[in-house]
Amino acid sequence: MILYILRRLLSVAVTFFVVSLIIFLMMHSIPGGPFDGNDMPVSAAVREQLMSRLGLDQPLWVQYVRYMTGVLQFDFGVPYQSPGETVIQLLSRAWIPSLVLGGLGVLIGTPLGILLGMAAALNRNTWIDYLASGFATLGLTVPVFVTSMLLILVFAVWLNWLPASGWGKPERWILPIVAYAAIPIATYARYTRSAMLDTLNRPFVTVLRAKGLSERRIIFQHVLRNSAIPMVTVFLPMFIGTATGSIFVEAMFRVPGLGAYFVSSIQTRDYPLEMALMLMITFMYCIAYLLSDIAYAWLNPRIRTGGSQ
Amino acid sequence: MNIVLKAAAALAVATALTVPALAQTTIVAPSGVTTGTYMDYMKTVYARATLAELLQVPLATFDKEFELTPMAAESWSQSEDGLTWTFKLRPGLVWSDGEPLTAEDYVFALQRAATTGYDFAWYWDFAGGIKGWKEVTEGKADVSTLGLKAVDDLTIEVTTNAPKPYLPSVTSLWYPVPKHVVDKLGDDWALNVDTVVSSGPFDLESWEKSNNSVVLTKSDTYTGPWQAQIDRLEVDPTLAAPEVGLPAFLAGDADYSFLNTGQVPVATQRFPDGIRKNAVFATSYISFDMDSPPFDNVDVRRALYYAVDRAELTSTVLKDIAIPAGSILPPGYPGYNPEIAAQAVFDPEKAKEHLAAAGFPNGEGFPEIEIWYREEGGYNGAIVPAMAQYLQAEFKEVLGITMNIRVLPGQDWMDGLLNKKNNIFIAPYEYDYLDPSNFYGIFYNGGRHGYHVQEYDDLVAKADSEPVWEERLKLYAQAEQVMIDQAEIVPLVHPITIAVISDQLGGDAATPNSLGFTPLDRLGHYFFTHLTKQ
Repeated sequence: MILYILRRLLSVAVTFFVVSLIIFLMMHSIPGGPFDGNDMPVSAAVREQLMSRLGLDQPLWVQYVRYMTGVLQFDFGVPYQSPGETVIQLLSRAWIPSLVLGGLGVLIGTPLGILLGMAAALNRNTWIDYLASGFATLGLTVPVFVTSMLLILVFAVWLNWLPASGWGKPERWILPIVAYAAIPIATYARYTRSAMLDTLNRPFVTVLRAKGLSERRIIFQHVLRNSAIPMVTVFLPMFIGTATGSIFVEAMFRVPGLGAYFVSSIQTRDYPLEMALMLMITFMYCIAYLLSDIAYAWLNPRIRTGGSQ
Repeated sequence: MNIVLKAAAALAVATALTVPALAQTTIVAPSGVTTGTYMDYMKTVYARATLAELLQVPLATFDKEFELTPMAAESWSQSEDGLTWTFKLRPGLVWSDGEPLTAEDYVFALQRAATTGYDFAWYWDFAGGIKGWKEVTEGKADVSTLGLKAVDDLTIEVTTNAPKPYLPSVTSLWYPVPKHVVDKLGDDWALNVDTVVSSGPFDLESWEKSNNSVVLTKSDTYTGPWQAQIDRLEVDPTLAAPEVGLPAFLAGDADYSFLNTGQVPVATQRFPDGIRKNAVFATSYISFDMDSPPFDNVDVRRALYYAVDRAELTSTVLKDIAIPAGSILPPGYPGYNPEIAAQAVFDPEKAKEHLAAAGFPNGEGFPEIEIWYREEGGYNGAIVPAMAQYLQAEFKEVLGITMNIRVLPGQDWMDGLLNKKNNIFIAPYEYDYLDPSNFYGIFYNGGRHGYHVQEYDDLVAKADSEPVWEERLKLYAQAEQVMIDQAEIVPLVHPITIAVISDQLGGDAATPNSLGFTPLDRLGHYFFTHLTKQ
């Protein structure tokens, strides 16, 4: 098991550097630079001075090596958009709202989705199943900005129960968390339903039933665990996707989170921030897949030994 | 009993603490989105933090009737040769840290702007015409050669290249920079709430960089005209999109919200007294490459001028977000001439005649053209794409011309315009300072479009330095007549924005001016200091 984890860690490191190189090259291949503003570009002399101060006049490979050397020492540079702080400081301040809202959305949505999926699977082809599947389909197909708008209209404007948007007081968190939670609820409802149906039809369940095990034990101890693999696959990537902030949810609910920086860093060619955001996501996905693999191995010993059925 | 007493005491303390807080008036307002790098208008305009300008006091500014009003300057005078202006500062003005505000702070602001890559530096050459500005910004002359001087603590002297009778109105964007703070902290003074000092009617309480929202409070130290009448002002750029702003307004989270076309009827029905129109002083027009066919022919350009039904365009396609434009100047703008605007009529017959005179009867033989517009958000983003499609249909129907449409990123569009990579464009322009020379200047001597119409250039040059206002207006009117006769442009529409305001808002700022406009987002100094809340 330890050897397995070490092997995987090594592949994470390799992936991280390959991805960093690709991102760096792609970032610099977009036409335009940080000082080629749309409105009134600065004069050539000033641009040269700025480029040289930021090291952008160096050959690309020098810039890459410099940046990555910094990264290894946790120095991601200073964002061009917000020169009063470091990239790390910016991320740690802007990420909090995204992490709180998106994270809570996933943490609340996941168990709800599993319950919904179980209810659907155990009551297959009844109105419960249709209702749950219908809800899940809606949750996946209706864009999040429409869900957000509906939530605001119903709960803030018509019923006047909750504030429409903003950040700060916890009552302002409720609607965006619900908007975020819709995605894991829908995703998990569908995955759980199909995985459970699949498992329920397996011969070992019939054997367990024949042995006289209670239905509750069969479901929770055997069926759910055997259906867990696809759910594990989905969980961490979804958590990362949501907890780094959705630009739509954050815009609709006026949350000062990370979402907008994904767009603005590309638009303004804020190289240090853009690179940091992408590396952060890459790193998180690498770790997420590593953890998922470990979880698989724990759930299904055949995976870690590479054995076949 | 003890518990009851304790509870009563706690309640009394809580009430005492909350009552003064309740008495405070706070306005929650939307604002245009910028990236918010520096809280310093004189460091960056395009990437400035929200309402950075409201923290500082300009030499002069405009009221809601667009009349120039002295602010930090108490008075000004022009020398006999017209080249030198002397501004006298109001005594007793101070920075929020108690330091006196002096002429040196104003002069320093522009000296720094000229030498450190200010993104609005062109304004002081284009609008201000300050002596030596170009040479200093290009690094060819020392900053001491600029036509700027702090004669004493309260006197500023400005020398211009040519007589600039409208220089005082240009100074509405001249804000001081606290030299004593910059000497200590450099540009970083404007990066943190703790180090920002203000000279204007508001102080900075907080600044959320992630969404560039700010909380300003009424200044205790500002002694100049236009004191704030509210205690706190929360300005949030994320409320600027009507799709977000209106629901927040309806839920009581914002005191006013801008509206998109779809929202106008609903909001008008629910809040008939709360609807306000806001003039943005902008014009959308068609511009041509007048050096290459088919637009080198004045008849072709005239044909397009007469083929646009501006009333239909604004009453159907652009309902409520634009008004017809017959002049490059918007109504209410200084120097607006209704007689010139009235000439821009929709006359399909005349349009056809002009096209036939150019050798293309009913559009026969006319080359397929492609109109270029730039991709953008805001009020232009709301009107231009729909307008392009309207024009496409209109030109086909009236003139038999096939016109394709192409949307380009801002830079490519500008490059196409300046380097004549295409021959027809939809061009938007918004004023930079309130004087006719601003709009006429963009067509002057090559300007923005590479036009060189000698007669026009001569008239504009003469008008720009004419000291008598009425005479200037006559010259500008003649220049614009040349522009219209030559069909250098086809004026299309003036965008406006519409907002709904809460019935709790009051004061002079909430009441429309004599033209029916309320200055909701351009004349910040006037608006936010003349707004009250019940």
